[in-house]
Amino acid sequence: MKLSSRQVCFFLAAVSPVGKMVLLPARLAETAQNDLLFPVLAHLLIQAALIFCVLLLSRRERTLCALVKGAAGNAAAKIVCTLFAAFLLFAAFLPIVEQKIMVRSIFYDTLPAHLVFAPFFLLSAYLASRPLRTLGRMWDILAPLFVLGMAGILVLAAGSCDLGALSPAGAAGAGAFGSGVRITCAWFFDSALLLALIGHFPYSKGLAWKGTLCYLGGGALLLLFLAVFYGVFGEVAVLQTVAFARISAFFSAMTVLGRIDYLFLFALAFVMAFFAILPLQEAVGTLTEAFGTPRLAPLFSVGANVLMLAAVYALHFFPSGSVAAVTQTLFWIFPLFTALLPLLLLLLFGRRPHEKIS
Amino acid sequence: MKKFLKALPVWIWGILFALLVATFFSNDFGLVDLQKTALVLAAGIDREEEDFVLTAQIALPAASQSGGGASMEITGRGATVADCLSEIHARTGWVPKLIYCDLIVLGESATVNVFDGLNFFLRNEYIPDACRLAACEGSAQALLSSASAVGDTSAIALGTLFSDAAQKSGLVMPTTLREFAIGTFGASASGYMPYVRAVPQEEDSPQQGGQTEGGQSGQSEQPDASQQGGQKILYSAQETALFAGGSLVAVLTPEETLAFSLLEGNVYAGTLAADGATYLILQDSGAVGIGAPPDMALHVDCTLQRCGENETSSPEELPAGTLSAKEEERLSELLTGYLASLWETCAQSGCDLFFFRRSLWRADPKEYAAWKDVPLADLSVRLSASVKSLR
Repeated sequence: MKLSSRQVCFFLAAVSPVGKMVLLPARLAETAQNDLLFPVLAHLLIQAALIFCVLLLSRRERTLCALVKGAAGNAAAKIVCTLFAAFLLFAAFLPIVEQKIMVRSIFYDTLPAHLVFAPFFLLSAYLASRPLRTLGRMWDILAPLFVLGMAGILVLAAGSCDLGALSPAGAAGAGAFGSGVRITCAWFFDSALLLALIGHFPYSKGLAWKGTLCYLGGGALLLLFLAVFYGVFGEVAVLQTVAFARISAFFSAMTVLGRIDYLFLFALAFVMAFFAILPLQEAVGTLTEAFGTPRLAPLFSVGANVLMLAAVYALHFFPSGSVAAVTQTLFWIFPLFTALLPLLLLLLFGRRPHEKIS
Repeated sequence: MKKFLKALPVWIWGILFALLVATFFSNDFGLVDLQKTALVLAAGIDREEEDFVLTAQIALPAASQSGGGASMEITGRGATVADCLSEIHARTGWVPKLIYCDLIVLGESATVNVFDGLNFFLRNEYIPDACRLAACEGSAQALLSSASAVGDTSAIALGTLFSDAAQKSGLVMPTTLREFAIGTFGASASGYMPYVRAVPQEEDSPQQGGQTEGGQSGQSEQPDASQQGGQKILYSAQETALFAGGSLVAVLTPEETLAFSLLEGNVYAGTLAADGATYLILQDSGAVGIGAPPDMALHVDCTLQRCGENETSSPEELPAGTLSAKEEERLSELLTGYLASLWETCAQSGCDLFFFRRSLWRADPKEYAAWKDVPLADLSVRLSASVKSLR
């Protein structure tokens, strides 16, 4: 059984935006101040174009490994897939660190013990050992939860939001825009996530357009969220490290009803947990396919998760430093695999002469 | 799942099992131990020279005679607010838990550079940014330690004063840590919070159970903890403290607070007293207009109904409660006078209460650069109020 095109659209519209709602808003507010929407808009447009390219590639209905193997042989496929899996492992670090920060900040009312996040890797190890086709059912469940959670927190935050805080547009300047784009590269690797899935879903007519529009739809929601976030916090937005969990706490009826926003926060946190595991799952899937050893998927999964657990806890007391290393020092790795690789593959395996794009 | 289970070597199972056992028997990693946890309901900040004095009002799990919650106050001293909390922890063994802290009171001594102390609360992710702020006459320690006449816990009594219902009455202008921080760190560098005075309830006073002594609070003396003894206290928050650059610069009178509240459009079912009559404010809309600098306009529109007078009216006149044209004009003048007084206080103190500079910045950064250093008193301001009778 393969993923369906509906499920791919669900992923693009309703799962991929959640990865950008934890640390990104505050980091971006620090760099681009009230112009924080523009760097994200630039990334969304670039990613939408890349997703269109990847979906065109998916018309071959062959996996990344099969595509490279067909063109350059088995050894090249193993090298490319190993590099790509290593990138996915690297890309998984930030979402998992965000997940840890979020769990420690919003699920506890005082500073919890260091190990409270460790059981997350049990779930991660199990999921990452599952074949990629199992993602579909997950996305069928996660998409409505995302819509519910997002709608809930945005409605609760609307009353305390002053969108005038986003004015004057462009005041931060081109330098801030450039820095904003640079430091947010680490959050926009959706085209790479989709690249790992090609060949696992059939290409239906118009999927390239539909998928791109779905991604832009999810991106529009993300922009709305960022606008509301800055509208709620304005000049103190830089202090709000777990952005999505903070904006809805000012709803006036909360004093009577209690923290009803937690219902929506839990829904979003649930989606985030699966999003954080996705790069690991894809890395394991890519490796097992490249080496033709699906039976060893559980071992690869445990290995990847132990590695990740060790990295996350080794850098436990360097949260800002480790996030800065990924977002500011090593940011250039992301365009290599999210833009260069898909474009190169499209050049090699893209449209053939006299072939129509449907 | 079967493949997953079969493929794992035994030693990995051992590690997983050990991890699960550690998690299960960890007593939640010692995270929540109610016996050692102090739920802080309110925090009071005072300064003693360079040091901070933090008073934490802590909820006690004992039922009180009046049915409300019981509480106690513990004070810590230190170079920072965090130091004060550490001292409280060291002295009592209780870990202060601030997630339920809904009120921060600043004593008179802590109203200069307030973010010296408030930064701790702003930065700490386990303290809600929605908690209310208030400044008080005298020390915050004395205020929080006073015995409220309307409840056992002063924090709960003060919280009631800052409720949405109180805000709609126009008598109080509550604010939150988030709003105050945005105002202070923004282009206007200004903010406000209610100014609380404690009023001892007279032994033979007929007032009981939650009635406040509105109007006279400005003349009351601040009792300190030693003087209060068993005396019950009522609180008045009809005045509003103005801050510029993070320091207290002025205090608005109750009339000016009402005018501010009307400008913000908050008032519904509040009252206005004038010339021996009382009027119910049924509808209120305020507007702060900022034109080409230096032009500013403050305007209030209200619909009123007469709801009380100090002389006998005929039964035919009572139900309507309508205002004559003369009354409308008189009340419009009265409210315009309140607005003028409010503006005068803001302009003299340098508190940009209406966010003139922030509006300029948002509209045109070049205009903002030209006008940001111009004193508010130099601006041309048009003030107007229009009162209409319920028809």
